[in-house]
Amino acid sequence: MEVDHAAGPGAVEKPRFDALTPSEMSGGRPQFRKVPVPPHRFSPLKRCWMEIYTPVYEHMKVDIRMNIKARRVELKTRQDTPDVSNLQKCADFVHAFMLGFDIADAVALLRLDDLYVDSFEIKDVKTLRGEHLSRAIGRLSGKGGKTKYAIENSTRTRIVIADTKIHILGSFVNIKVARDSLCSLILGSPAGKVYSKLRAVSARLAERY
Amino acid sequence: MDATAAADKGEAALKLLEYADPSHFLSPSADLVTAARAASQHIYSSLVPLSPAQPPSTLLTDPAFDAEQIWSQIELLARPLLPHLRRQLRRLEQQPPSQPQATLPLPVEKPADSEEEEEEDGQGSELDELKELEETDDEEELSDDEEDEEEEEEELDQRAHKGLEDQFLKIGEMAEFLDKGDEEEYGGGANRGEEKKATKNWMAESDDEGDEDRDEEGDEDLEDFEDDDEDGEGEDGGGIMYKDFFEKSHNRPAKKRDGSTKKVQFKEDTHTMELDGSENDDGNVEEEQGLSTHEKEQLKARAKIEQMEKAALESSAWTMQGEVTASSRPINSALEVDLDFEHNVRPAPVITEEVTASLEDMIKKRIAEGHFDDVEKPSLLPSKAPKEHKELDESKSKKGLAELYEDDYAQKAGIAPAPLAISDELKQQANTLFKRICLKLDALSHFHFAPKPVIEDMSVQANVPALAMEEIAPVAVSDAAMLAPEEVFEGKGDVKEEGELTQAERKRRRANKKRRYAASHKERPAKLQKD
Repeated sequence: MEVDHAAGPGAVEKPRFDALTPSEMSGGRPQFRKVPVPPHRFSPLKRCWMEIYTPVYEHMKVDIRMNIKARRVELKTRQDTPDVSNLQKCADFVHAFMLGFDIADAVALLRLDDLYVDSFEIKDVKTLRGEHLSRAIGRLSGKGGKTKYAIENSTRTRIVIADTKIHILGSFVNIKVARDSLCSLILGSPAGKVYSKLRAVSARLAERY
Repeated sequence: MDATAAADKGEAALKLLEYADPSHFLSPSADLVTAARAASQHIYSSLVPLSPAQPPSTLLTDPAFDAEQIWSQIELLARPLLPHLRRQLRRLEQQPPSQPQATLPLPVEKPADSEEEEEEDGQGSELDELKELEETDDEEELSDDEEDEEEEEEELDQRAHKGLEDQFLKIGEMAEFLDKGDEEEYGGGANRGEEKKATKNWMAESDDEGDEDRDEEGDEDLEDFEDDDEDGEGEDGGGIMYKDFFEKSHNRPAKKRDGSTKKVQFKEDTHTMELDGSENDDGNVEEEQGLSTHEKEQLKARAKIEQMEKAALESSAWTMQGEVTASSRPINSALEVDLDFEHNVRPAPVITEEVTASLEDMIKKRIAEGHFDDVEKPSLLPSKAPKEHKELDESKSKKGLAELYEDDYAQKAGIAPAPLAISDELKQQANTLFKRICLKLDALSHFHFAPKPVIEDMSVQANVPALAMEEIAPVAVSDAAMLAPEEVFEGKGDVKEEGELTQAERKRRRANKKRRYAASHKERPAKLQKD
């Protein structure tokens, strides 16, 4: 803090403050995020722990630990965490992994700002029961998952279909396109129709970029 | 005495002729000839006193005389007799023919002549007259013997029929009855016709020069029958009534009776029947009214008019009535009538074996050629370049989402080159293939291939419309050469081949060659010497 002694008789100098560090922002106290681990993701987590740990700790400079008893992943800011949003990003990254996304896909969340994860359920779109539900799920993924991959490749998103829940990872526009395709599939349109729409939309998207 | 001797001779000759076998007449025999001549001579001499004109007293029948000559002599006698005979006939016509077979010569001829008269009256043709003359000649020639023959015939018949006759059946009566019936039907003409026929036949046999006569007689026979038929037709199929059969009416004349019965029987057709009756009367010899030709024609016309009026008043058949519905004609009557109407439809083709065979052949040919009539879709011309369809990758992407964005950023930043698309991959494949081929080709030329030098020439481009620059190729090219053969030919005179040369010519050629060679070589030694 420098007080400028100006020559003026009563001019007061504006104070100049440096930016607050994230730790200072929260009053010097660290911030925490806790991400519950579903049971089906426990063993994949154990397998891929280092792949999660390294980018979080090294690149994002966020502390991360696994609370096995509580079945949680806990994240904490450090002193030298560069950005306030890092913690959130890491939390989203871990959350995405818990939803079922691959590490390679989830890492994009760390890298890019404008990627989101959108989740919805089949019953939000259409109330289906029993066999219809099963058929809808089958329609969504397609034979060997080809429909899902087609949507993923054309819209540059990643989709996870977990029983009746659907999660989409990608940019906002892409999520929208993917969601529309998935909703039309749920509502019963054949894959070919969805493909043709996808082709048109993806071409438009590619041109934009 | 000469005369009687001649007469006896003649009689003998006649008898000879009579008893001669008919088959003998078919072949020429000298006996029959002499007999015939003698007989004709006898008859001629017997007839001579009867003729009013004075013909030559004797018939010259030397063997030297021809048949024609004898005939003409006979005719000379017969011709003047005719009018005389006609007068006789008219007198005799007043009397009814009570005895058809009279023994006198003139009455015998009467029925035949009356028949001829009938013909004359009825038709009056020249032909008939000629035939009449011939007939009379024939009859006169043998008139004497006719009666003999007939008498003999009768005797013969009676002798033959004696076996058949008994108390009930008499052949003579039967014959009379039959004649009566014929009279009633045909008005007495048939009997005369029969008689005439008999006489004619006999005459035909006896004559040696028979061919012409036979033909003529045959025609005459037919004519007689025609006449008889006319008589019959005139009566409307006989017109026989109950009364004619079962009521004895001897006094009434034949024709008149028919006419009267008809009047009674048919009230409607009395008029026509009267006409018919009158017609019959005309046809008959014994009739009281003599209708002229014109009157007869008038009657016929009236009858026809009556008929036509009757037909006109009647309602016509349904086929002639114009528009006829099914209800106004009998059932199925349209099937019997040959209807004619326009068919707008081509009749269905009759399928025969040939038709099917031809169709099958065509089918086989078409299949072999591959020439079908399928509707082919018209190929669309590509108006614009085909869109490059981005193929949707249906497999799991190898790159993660982060890597994708990484590459995206790198591309934008220009750090990494643009990734190859799928179409570029194809192009890459094509490029590598072409390079391989080029390498192999270059190896063929030991890698010494020199490319074509690029010559940059400056050519003046005339600013002429493009059409003018087009090559104008000749439409028709003539393959006639510009030079004539004699202009093309190099040489002189007659060019002969080696084989064609004669010995002298060969020698000449060799001599010339030697001379030329000698001339050319003379120069060289001269040159050498100079040197």
